[in-house]
Amino acid sequence: MRSMKKIFVLLIAAICMQKSFAQHHSVFILSYPIAFPMGDLGDYIDKQSFRGINLEWGKEIKPNLIASLETGWNVFYKDVPEQVYTEGTASFSGKQFRYTNSVPIIVGAKWVLKSSNNLVPYAGLGLGTMYSDRSTDFGLYRISTDAWQFCVRPELGITFKSRNGPAAMLGVKYYSSFNSSDLDGQSFLTVNIGVVFPYGL
Amino acid sequence: MAIKLTRLLGILSLVLISGCYPKGAEFIDDLDLVYTNYSSSFDFSSKTTYAIPDSVIKITGDIFSDPDGDHKPSFLGPASAAAILDKINQNMVSNGWTEVNKFSNPDVIVLVSTVTTTNVYWYYDWWYWGWYYPGWYPGWGWYYPGYYPPYVTGYKSGSVFIQMVDAKAVAAGTENVPVIWSCILNGLAEGGTSSITTRVQGMIDKAFAQSPYLKH
Repeated sequence: MRSMKKIFVLLIAAICMQKSFAQHHSVFILSYPIAFPMGDLGDYIDKQSFRGINLEWGKEIKPNLIASLETGWNVFYKDVPEQVYTEGTASFSGKQFRYTNSVPIIVGAKWVLKSSNNLVPYAGLGLGTMYSDRSTDFGLYRISTDAWQFCVRPELGITFKSRNGPAAMLGVKYYSSFNSSDLDGQSFLTVNIGVVFPYGL
Repeated sequence: MAIKLTRLLGILSLVLISGCYPKGAEFIDDLDLVYTNYSSSFDFSSKTTYAIPDSVIKITGDIFSDPDGDHKPSFLGPASAAAILDKINQNMVSNGWTEVNKFSNPDVIVLVSTVTTTNVYWYYDWWYWGWYYPGWYPGWGWYYPGYYPPYVTGYKSGSVFIQMVDAKAVAAGTENVPVIWSCILNGLAEGGTSSITTRVQGMIDKAFAQSPYLKH
């Protein structure tokens, strides 16, 4: 619900501010994502992640259109207090330590709204793959599953231009991957705070 | 300026990622596991008496070996055995069971054993040396022809295994003894006898708590 509110606020911001994006040909975006697990991932680890990094390279292919290549790393973790798990006649009890490492690799496009002031909103859509590595430590045992899954990633954001050099950015990205044989689709939403470095003038 | 900032942010991100990696289990009892399973066709509610030996055996291998020829296995030390058996008896009694002598026709017999394993790492991944050795490729390994070197590092893990046997079925002359309830308490066998005993006692309580069908 909180995430929905953020999307809404950013959407309003995007409509209100008609500004132009950087005049440079290429950008490198380094951002820090705070990730909120959803769906199957949220059922497994219902705790937001403050562990992650996101890297993105963009190239202007039209005045308002940027082609981008993105990768990143999000670490989800939760320790589950001791509880009893029952399957048929068997019962297990113990603590669980649950981990999911997610690495998206996304090719995408960003549409940048023209604006004359320093706030530049953008919206993007990406397609690619997401590598997920899920491990559960239970007692002295570890149960692991990993999968490469097809992934879509819409995003919304704003950049705050400075007169010279890098711009700051605030954005929301939603990653949703599709079921594969070993693992259900994993999805999460990230709020990214970062820096946009223009280069290749 | 931009380059400096990039570098600074790069370093910051590295610190952030390495410093905040989730740490997982911290204490020995974080690794404790209690497993129970039972025969759903056995009617526990109609059984009330049990017999239990006054010793806990040590299982030392798949096959019973008797090097000293006394027809008995190795036993767990009497203090540790008493701590385990007292806890089991306490739970059995509070679940409505009555202890009887093994010759007094008990409904079930409870057998308690322990196993410990020392897990050692002397066969670490040879790829640790891949950076140095010329002409080595992933997937290769190494071996110690005819001997094992002393271990590099390791830990001792242990289990307490409790089996509840249908004593009446034994009397009927069957060849195989039906184990109607089994319980495995597994964890690290590290940290001193008294702390291990305390953990095992706690795990016995949990084993009975997660087996409500044993309650009358």
